Amino acid sequence: MALTFFRGLHTHSFLMYPSSFLSRKNGMLYCTMKSIRGQTETQEKSQHQLKVSTQTQSRKHDDIFKNFEAIIGIETHVQLSTLTKAFCSCPYNYGAQPNTSICPVCMGLPGALPVLSTKVIESAVKVGLALNCNLSLSSKFDRKQYFYPDLPKGYQISQFDIPIATGGYLDVDIPLEFGGGHRKFGITRVHMEEDAGKLLHTGNGSFSQVDLNRAGVPLLEIVSEPDMRTGIEAAEYAAELQRLVRYLGVSNGNMQEGSLRCDVNISIRPIGQLEFGTKVEIKNLNSFSSVSRAIDFEISRQALLHSQGQADQIVQETRLWEEGAQKTVTMRKKEGLADYRYFPEPDLPGVTLTEEYVDGIRCSLPELPEMKRRRYEGMGLNMQDVLFLTNDINVADFFDSAIAEGADVKLAANWIMGDIAAYMKNEKLSINEIQLNSHELVELISSIKGGTISGKIGKEILFELMAKGGTVKGLIKEKNLVQIADPVEIEKMVDKVLADNPKQLEQYRGGKTKLQGYFAGQIMKESKGKANPALLNKILLEKLNAKS
Amino acid sequence: MGPGPPTDGDSSSREPAIRAYSTNETSNYHQIKFITMAIRAALLLVRATPLQFSFNPKQALVLKQNNRNYAVKSSLEPPDVQRLAETARISLAPHEVEEFAPKIQQVIDWFGQLQAVDLQNVAPAIRADNEEETLRDDSPEIFENRDAILAAVPCYEDSYIKVPKVLNKE
Repeated sequence: MALTFFRGLHTHSFLMYPSSFLSRKNGMLYCTMKSIRGQTETQEKSQHQLKVSTQTQSRKHDDIFKNFEAIIGIETHVQLSTLTKAFCSCPYNYGAQPNTSICPVCMGLPGALPVLSTKVIESAVKVGLALNCNLSLSSKFDRKQYFYPDLPKGYQISQFDIPIATGGYLDVDIPLEFGGGHRKFGITRVHMEEDAGKLLHTGNGSFSQVDLNRAGVPLLEIVSEPDMRTGIEAAEYAAELQRLVRYLGVSNGNMQEGSLRCDVNISIRPIGQLEFGTKVEIKNLNSFSSVSRAIDFEISRQALLHSQGQADQIVQETRLWEEGAQKTVTMRKKEGLADYRYFPEPDLPGVTLTEEYVDGIRCSLPELPEMKRRRYEGMGLNMQDVLFLTNDINVADFFDSAIAEGADVKLAANWIMGDIAAYMKNEKLSINEIQLNSHELVELISSIKGGTISGKIGKEILFELMAKGGTVKGLIKEKNLVQIADPVEIEKMVDKVLADNPKQLEQYRGGKTKLQGYFAGQIMKESKGKANPALLNKILLEKLNAKS
Repeated sequence: MGPGPPTDGDSSSREPAIRAYSTNETSNYHQIKFITMAIRAALLLVRATPLQFSFNPKQALVLKQNNRNYAVKSSLEPPDVQRLAETARISLAPHEVEEFAPKIQQVIDWFGQLQAVDLQNVAPAIRADNEEETLRDDSPEIFENRDAILAAVPCYEDSYIKVPKVLNKE
């Protein structure tokens, strides 16, 4: 796969940040292959032109690159898929008509009181446990004050000094194409808070538009330890969080819709230096690949400044990732620490959890991605298979139920990762949307294994099953696809084909033995693909060599 | 709402109901909101510096206990109304600054009275609680009178609330 990290660079910035400098590894992120496929294909073309001219510079830059170490931490906001907002009963539906899901509470009208939904606590506890955190049995909400039109109350209800969960970790398996290996990234804290509304800065007028449907929607903020060192690690951490919340069913984790938002904190330092460099925050990362590419860009930007003796130009600031230009730009410089004037939220009581409640949730947790990966590994699957099958919980469920019905592990994995995955990708369908169910896959595998149908016929049936549904047995019967394994019947077909092709037969017997393949093909065609290939070849060979 | 410190909530009712709200009062809404903001801000001057908050719960509790010592502190800084107005994104004319300063000072003084209460033998709590059930099921309900809320919005157009352009401004 071609390099995909940079495209459409302006000449100026291109010289500043050459693409080859950034791309230590070829290939796309495993986790994003599906979603940004279309985009990468268009990138590949422009990439080619860039590549040639940058190769000469790349070695020098690689050297600069090697001398620095990046320290990366990620702050992730996960929007919970509750039916109501966090502190009022307004329904939340993504894409609803603007300003329709509002009430006095989320509009911050005087006298309205917030009441927390139990579902928010439950989701927070699930995520806290899944991230191996310590839970605070007694936590509270605080007010974070800031004035901005997306926040009608003038403050965000959040958790400050006592978050619901602290001190956990997340296990991540790095795909082989990025070097492989297992990583453990620390989780600093998980806390509950409310989302703000959406601001639209359309057109060139002097107005911004506000939609407050999202104001008050529950979020979990998950803060990682600064444990990541590369863009790939950061993107894989984010992808694992997405899998985790989807496995738990607490969020759809959809980055395009903003249900999972990652802000990256990054600083670089010369290798060997103990103190940290100046930290820069990157926002507006809408996919895992943009997380990875923005980090790689930022590392190179900062490393270049260091190497040019301009390290003092790295300032504490928030930078925006511009997907079009594939670069980060200054959004705002920090002028001292923001003064949020936190204080305990007087309108809400504390959040108290009992040990029984926490234990109940702990017992009800589903098998999480990390456990599933280790289990699949134990079943003898290789890491590529394991990562593919566990990436989407629905695919994993499909695989699990096929295995539960006794399907061969490797065969089931191959079918799912091969033809089924290709079909899903082409038709843009999820595994739940295709007509094939796991039971029929098991039937198909055993029909091939038992010799009822050939592998080739099996493939044909598979596509029919995925598109239209039905059963393997029904289709075999309906289309008369049962494999011909009767020697007498095959012999008849062999005789017919040999009689129809006297010239070729003569050539074969004259020494052109390669023609065996031609005869086999003709006979298979005669049988409409149903002849048992081994038997066919055995009889054919006997006949061909009989009179010589 | 009359004069005096507005309360942030009525702890006797946990229903998300409207209290003291009607469209007639929205003209006063901005002023009330500013005073509320200012009081909140001022209260934070009464509190310790932001450093008292730590992500370490244990440490936070210890610091909380130290808060008790504020009862001993005699005089408080007068409010910096200009700065409070800035954080509330409100521009005040110099005469308004003069007008608000004593009002806010008065509120702070009321709280000053509370500081005289002896709490040496009271165990610190994370916060004040009431005993009743204070949670809600996750069942959606559409608020009936949305039109009244939108009618009170100063500038509403094409189903969006229009505000002065705020791009790249924290």
